[in-house]
Amino acid sequence: MEKKIALVACNGGCRNDSCGYGCISCGACVNVCPAEAVAINNSGVAEVDESLCLGCGACVDACPQEIIRLHEAGSPIVVKCSNRDPGKAARTACEVSCIGCGICEKVCPSGAAEVTENLSAIDEELCLSCGMCAVKCPRHAIYDLRGVLTARS
Amino acid sequence: MATFFVNGNSVTAQKNQSLLRFLRDELHLTSVKDGCSEGACGACTVIIDGETCRACVPKTDSLESKHVVTVEGLSDFEKKLYTYAYGEAGAVQCGFCIPGMVLCTKALLDKVEDPTEEQIRYAIRNNYCRCTGYVKIIKAMELAAKLKKTGVVPEPSETDWKLGSSVHRLDVEEKVLGYGKYPDDWYLDGMTYGSAVRSQYPRARVLGIDASKAKALPGVVAVLTAEDIPGENKVGHIKHDQYSLIPVGGLTHWLGDPIALVVAEDQETLEKAKKLVKVTYEPLPAVHGPEEARQPDAPRVFDEEKDNVQAYKHVSRGDATVAIANSKYVISKHFETPWTEHAFLEPECAVAYMDEDGYVRVLSTDQSSHTTLHECKILLGSEKVRVQNQLVGGGFGGKEDMTVQHHAALITYLTGRAVKVKLSRAESLLIHPKRHPFWMDFTIGCDENGIIQGVKASVYSDTGAFASLGGPVLERACTHASGPYNYQNFEIEGTAYYTNNPPAGAFRGFGVTQTCFAIESLLNEMAEKIGISPWEIRYRNAIRPGQELPNGQIVGPETGLAETLEAIKPYYDAAVAAGKPVGLASAMKNSGVGVGLPDWGRCKLIVEDDAKVHIYAGASCIGQGLGTVLVQMVVTNTPLGRDDIVYERSNTWIAPDSGDSSGSRQTLITGEACRRACEKLTEALKTRTLKELNGEVFYGEYLAKTDKLGADVPHPVSHVAYGYATQMCVLDKDTGKIESMVAVHDVGKAVNPRSCEGQIEGGVVMSMGYALREKYPIDENCKPIDKFGKLGLFRAHEIPEIKAIVVDKPGLDVACGAIGIGEITSIPTAPAIAEAYYQLDGKRRTKLPLDDTPYERRGR
Repeated sequence: MEKKIALVACNGGCRNDSCGYGCISCGACVNVCPAEAVAINNSGVAEVDESLCLGCGACVDACPQEIIRLHEAGSPIVVKCSNRDPGKAARTACEVSCIGCGICEKVCPSGAAEVTENLSAIDEELCLSCGMCAVKCPRHAIYDLRGVLTARS
Repeated sequence: MATFFVNGNSVTAQKNQSLLRFLRDELHLTSVKDGCSEGACGACTVIIDGETCRACVPKTDSLESKHVVTVEGLSDFEKKLYTYAYGEAGAVQCGFCIPGMVLCTKALLDKVEDPTEEQIRYAIRNNYCRCTGYVKIIKAMELAAKLKKTGVVPEPSETDWKLGSSVHRLDVEEKVLGYGKYPDDWYLDGMTYGSAVRSQYPRARVLGIDASKAKALPGVVAVLTAEDIPGENKVGHIKHDQYSLIPVGGLTHWLGDPIALVVAEDQETLEKAKKLVKVTYEPLPAVHGPEEARQPDAPRVFDEEKDNVQAYKHVSRGDATVAIANSKYVISKHFETPWTEHAFLEPECAVAYMDEDGYVRVLSTDQSSHTTLHECKILLGSEKVRVQNQLVGGGFGGKEDMTVQHHAALITYLTGRAVKVKLSRAESLLIHPKRHPFWMDFTIGCDENGIIQGVKASVYSDTGAFASLGGPVLERACTHASGPYNYQNFEIEGTAYYTNNPPAGAFRGFGVTQTCFAIESLLNEMAEKIGISPWEIRYRNAIRPGQELPNGQIVGPETGLAETLEAIKPYYDAAVAAGKPVGLASAMKNSGVGVGLPDWGRCKLIVEDDAKVHIYAGASCIGQGLGTVLVQMVVTNTPLGRDDIVYERSNTWIAPDSGDSSGSRQTLITGEACRRACEKLTEALKTRTLKELNGEVFYGEYLAKTDKLGADVPHPVSHVAYGYATQMCVLDKDTGKIESMVAVHDVGKAVNPRSCEGQIEGGVVMSMGYALREKYPIDENCKPIDKFGKLGLFRAHEIPEIKAIVVDKPGLDVACGAIGIGEITSIPTAPAIAEAYYQLDGKRRTKLPLDDTPYERRGR
């Protein structure tokens, strides 16, 4: 559907404090959510319960890290990372960071995946939700939110 | 290794492989179609743990304990439900996307009892269909939702099978349940796999081929080169200029030119062996397009030709120059149209084996089994070939040439082994001939009332690396460039150039899609200049029964262009009155080959041991529904009922040659041959029963006789009949997107109105792509660069409301008045859309796809 829901683009695999891009567990999103759809998970990262999310965008505005965005509920293949550091630094920072390797671009059949500033992004208007990028991502930074092709989170 | 469940059964995949390969190659669940193996098309959609997923994406090792469902695993009720819903809605054409669509339907209905139309569209939005335009698939899904709740599957709404009845097509069940076989669905004992090593350069001299390393690889059966060809190397429809294998010393013509054919016991060895074939080249400068090809010092694409002109046509009647000079209003413009890829869902595949009589049997997906037979015989230098059509997963003109059939035949002939030769999707995009790009200069002159005085034009096209049907496409582009109007001063010259780009050939519309954009766009501009509406200028000039077309032909009583305009008028007037941006265009399209070429329809009705009449016609059903058309012909023209009749797919040893499924010709031409056979059968049935007629053959043939182009007769008959159409595009002012398309088509007698609507909807959506988004970019190395998923094909959630209106106009004295449809559905769409955008923003667009619309694709 064209229904939009919030997505936190961080999966909380940080090894140290060197990732300046990810979720900082501040709880601003949790506090502002009118539907109690956001909670801080075991990895210390905000996570959205899609079934509760209203797509209002309040958390998007509240997030000091600017890592929450609205995406199409019908497009389950998402990049859950916001790290824009070059490959080596990004790799050191986190277990599941995007290192901008470009494999997603290469395997994407529809030109929807594109790496800019060392970070993959998926254009949901072009995405066919095939999940080839999620399956091939060497860093497990791309997820199938349905849990079919990858773990759910 | 992983153990998981397929259709409820526990299975173990030893080797880690894509789920698609496991389901097809090991479990032989061939309902799961391999349309691209790159995640784009959706034909291999299965359900995993309740969610739809392309089987080509996950590896089996990732599926431990998961539950996979294919259509083979549907419950009996679901099988009945979806067969009925898809049949009743008319949602099945070529069928290749259908099992995937059915599983999308199931996955949706398992979650949502009462889905909205939007939910339905989104449920299939990642699955491509190139035939239906999604309209009837969406209807089928709505119907399935409704019936699933009641738990009862009713009888079809129409059952009498006479002409004019929208019966369920006869191939619905095998396509919905996925048991009907396309060539790729055959897995024969001892079958090998074949594939061609292709040129690294668009234009190069082949200096040597070293296959020793490939031949030494265990599992390699053979590596064949041009020297091994027993017959003629070059094949082709009319002109034999398509090399089956480029010989040492020979020139390559494009990146798809095959140089060696590798045959191996399995697909993995095949891919390894292909990399071991070493070809040495002398790279040469390539010809990148017609502008280069026409230069006096241009490199020659063919050693055998004196220049790069593949075809030249000049058509002239009356005096266009003088007529235009004397016209009150004159407009001249330049137009351009792009390459277009057919994007049928089934990539090319052929299976060949030695049959019990020592013939090479080719199981093919093509637009004429007899054409395949003819070309294979040339290549093998042998008569011992038989071809049998399998289901054809869409053609649209792109399966008229040899791509894999001749290679499969050659391999079996030389090795004695069964073989499957299949193109990957990337190869398919490179190899089969595309729609020609055209560059066109048109001038039109009208009087003060908007009556056309004369039209003069000059066009050229890029026909790429071999002729294919470049000559006839150019000819049809020229003969139809006048539009369906009543004026007699018309002149056009056209040239098709060889280049080192991929070949161009037949594509739904056959050249007319291109010139129609030019003439109809000019007519819209002319209407504005004169101060009348686009509707009015067409109604004033429309060709009517008894009048003379610009080609000199006096048209028959079946001519219904004015009726299409009258039928569209209420919709047009309403849109204009509502202040909406609206565009209109008309077209005509021949049925049949025409222009003096022998154009035979042939059909045998054979009564067999089962006391049924079996229909044998050497004519391919490529998804349009020919089998259903012929059965409806027999039911209408004999005392027999549906259950007395069996439709047999085309073959070359029983079914007589009834020509290519091309030129919108099969309904009319094979239909008339079938009707003639029915007359004989009916006569016999007056005195004997079917049982008593066992073994008897009733033969019908029909020659669609026409005059050749430029024949020295007052009124040459170029074609036995023409279909006419008017289409209209309404835009949403706020979004700039298409709100609705209305397509009115004069088809003579509609054999199966619902099928006919399906053709129209599919043709309109296909040409919305042509008008707004589809591209086939080629780089400086003459290489097409886009993947299937980037072509810009429309998806289910993007299509507007499409209203298909069929005008039945009697008058044609053959085939019970059925003119046919097929191509014309795609012809007036683009100029109608271009005019609507002009009405929106005042910008005249003369190049396709149209720029500056919300559909324009961003770069990447």
